Amino acid sequence: MIEQHHDGRGDPSPPEFEQVFLPHLDAAYNLARWLLRNDQDAEDAVQEAYLRAYKAFSRFRGGDGKAWLITILRNVCFTMIKKLRSHETPEPFDEEIHQAAGQSDLREVFRQKANAETLQSAIEKLPDEFREIIVLHDLEGLAYKQIAVAIGIPIGTVMSRLARARGRLRAEIVASNVKQSSP
Amino acid sequence: MNHDDVSRLLGAYLDGELDLTTCMDLEEHLAGCESCRQKMEADQELVAVIQSETPRFEASPFLKTRIRAALRPEKSQPLPFWRRAWLSSGVAFAALLILAAYFYRAPGIPALVQEAVADHVRSLQVSHLMDVASTDQHTVKPWFAGKLDYSPQVVDLAPAGYPLIGGRLDVLDSRNVAALIYQRRKHYINLFIWPSNGPSLPGKLYVRNGYHALGWTRSGMNYMAVSELGEQEFADFVKMIQDKTVETRPGE
Repeated sequence: MIEQHHDGRGDPSPPEFEQVFLPHLDAAYNLARWLLRNDQDAEDAVQEAYLRAYKAFSRFRGGDGKAWLITILRNVCFTMIKKLRSHETPEPFDEEIHQAAGQSDLREVFRQKANAETLQSAIEKLPDEFREIIVLHDLEGLAYKQIAVAIGIPIGTVMSRLARARGRLRAEIVASNVKQSSP
Repeated sequence: MNHDDVSRLLGAYLDGELDLTTCMDLEEHLAGCESCRQKMEADQELVAVIQSETPRFEASPFLKTRIRAALRPEKSQPLPFWRRAWLSSGVAFAALLILAAYFYRAPGIPALVQEAVADHVRSLQVSHLMDVASTDQHTVKPWFAGKLDYSPQVVDLAPAGYPLIGGRLDVLDSRNVAALIYQRRKHYINLFIWPSNGPSLPGKLYVRNGYHALGWTRSGMNYMAVSELGEQEFADFVKMIQDKTVETRPGE
């Protein structure tokens, strides 16, 4: 009798659901991993998102499955982040260094420092929403419109948030190890 | 189009997200403006670096299996994922056979044990392992207050490698019971605790569908531990819980 506590109310068949959503597993995992910063949490979040998506599958009217899944996933992730990091205070951000970072004389510095390693640590330092949009656009290749649907913001906001995220990322790269390179 | 417009639209331009008219306006400005052109080149360089150098994390094949298993209700699912993983390892499989042969001599498995195993399996499958996630016994214990008419003793086994990871309200023996969740590597242990109203639980190890279950009674409380852990580690866990609950005074 306890067996009936879950499922069993006209749920869709798993194969049908899987055909639509499992192809997005890598994209989902990549986003969760970048947001949550460790494998275990990322796997839990992705599994939870798939289960929620499955339960809500009857409300999915076709269209962009990837954006739909990401909407659910990012909700799961941001809820987890709130729980996991409630005690953390964000690192202070030096606006001055960061505004100067786009200037042409710093392009050479950027070139010298831009490699996979500094990039990874720079992305990890970004605020969650900046990191999210960089991952969705620059790594996963979602179009502005898909991101707008997934996050639930206007396309104009996608554009400006992505621009700010990239600007800050550049600044983080230029500022990385700044103590060693400055006189 | 002025400098500000250009700098606002530059990213969208590089991403191919601008409509044709805006695109042409912007290019017209770029053609006559050195500083904006420099900016564009710097941005282009940045975007290229981000897109080519950032590592992309890939899901393990195990995750796909885990999700597919979670999507299927118990009946249509021949084996839960962790047991399938076990079975793929010959040594583990042999160990399982030996264990099974040994324990299946036990005639019948009490309904209570079957129910506890079902609770354990369900807690893993529907992603409802915990209602309160915490590694702190002083958080988990108060969480049950008001939800139960008794206060379970919550002991910490983190130093021994069995960290407490949370608590859950579950149903067992026709009543609400406290379930404490402990972790051993990637395995979970459910420890159900509720007041005893009848004879003591016999302290006997059962194996059902590859899960170990053991119930005992101490100081007026019933305990039932269930896990897919191996026998030795499971026995160690039970022993530690029993030792710890003896040390402290029960049911305050």
